[in-house]
Amino acid sequence: MAAGLKTIIALSFVLAIGFLLVILSSALWHNFLPLLVVATYLLAPLPNWICGRCSNPDDFMESSSNAVIDIGRFCTGFFVVMGIALPVLFAHCGLIQVPAMIMSIVGGLLIYGTIISFGMFFQEEQDF
Amino acid sequence: MPSHRLFQLPKPQWLNSANMRTSGVYLSGALFALGLFFFVDAAAYSHSPKNGSDVHIKFIDWIPGICSTLGMLVVNSIDKTRLTGDDGFSYSGNGVAWKAKLVLFLGFALMAGGLAGSVTVMVLKYVVPDYPFPTLYFGVANVIANGLIMLSSVVLWISQNMEDDYTYNLAL
Repeated sequence: MAAGLKTIIALSFVLAIGFLLVILSSALWHNFLPLLVVATYLLAPLPNWICGRCSNPDDFMESSSNAVIDIGRFCTGFFVVMGIALPVLFAHCGLIQVPAMIMSIVGGLLIYGTIISFGMFFQEEQDF
Repeated sequence: MPSHRLFQLPKPQWLNSANMRTSGVYLSGALFALGLFFFVDAAAYSHSPKNGSDVHIKFIDWIPGICSTLGMLVVNSIDKTRLTGDDGFSYSGNGVAWKAKLVLFLGFALMAGGLAGSVTVMVLKYVVPDYPFPTLYFGVANVIANGLIMLSSVVLWISQNMEDDYTYNLAL
């Protein structure tokens, strides 16, 4: 995978736009609850990394190591949906405005997409 | 596997791939989060200033969700290979399969009790006093949350049973 300099520059631009959207969604209304979205999306890939390190990839016939990986994936799915559901919850309960909800969701998805594509671009070189 | 198949139609081949299994586990976590946040949304809404009535979500409303979550934990923490090993000469002939089935029954009873309890709470607390809709939403969200937790458990169960066939194909 030829992930050159252009990929890194593009990914960092997208990450900056995502953080810009989330910070604007908080700062424009002086209500800093949407910043929780960033914490959620930063937490989301963490269970996969931890559980992938805990399980032994050599004995894939062993079901216990597979179960550990499954727990990590379950938690990741949980955190991703939490990052979308949290702004919707805040907006529905009147804690933040609806435009702030949209901005924080879009910004959070951009941040998470950056993390995922960064992992996809630069993981394969380490493995093999 | 085909010698002791249960159903007439074979399982479609795309269900056995590892990708389907992985996405099934992700989907299960996503469904669980969706269910949980439906209910948390109802709880937050009931204590927000947008709630016009003086009906709030109390601990009673939380009990079915707790039961469903505990049931899901019990059902999915059982090693599935222990369930089928009671045919006399296998390694788990000493009653492990019996115990596994008992614990599994308790888990399913907890999940079904959670779903039934959520319907009970909705009917007794919100439908019988004839509340209008923003208040009725607390009960409906409770039922939706428990149903989604049950669906997430089903998806997780199916995708973990996929794993057995997958590793079996690898072993041959």
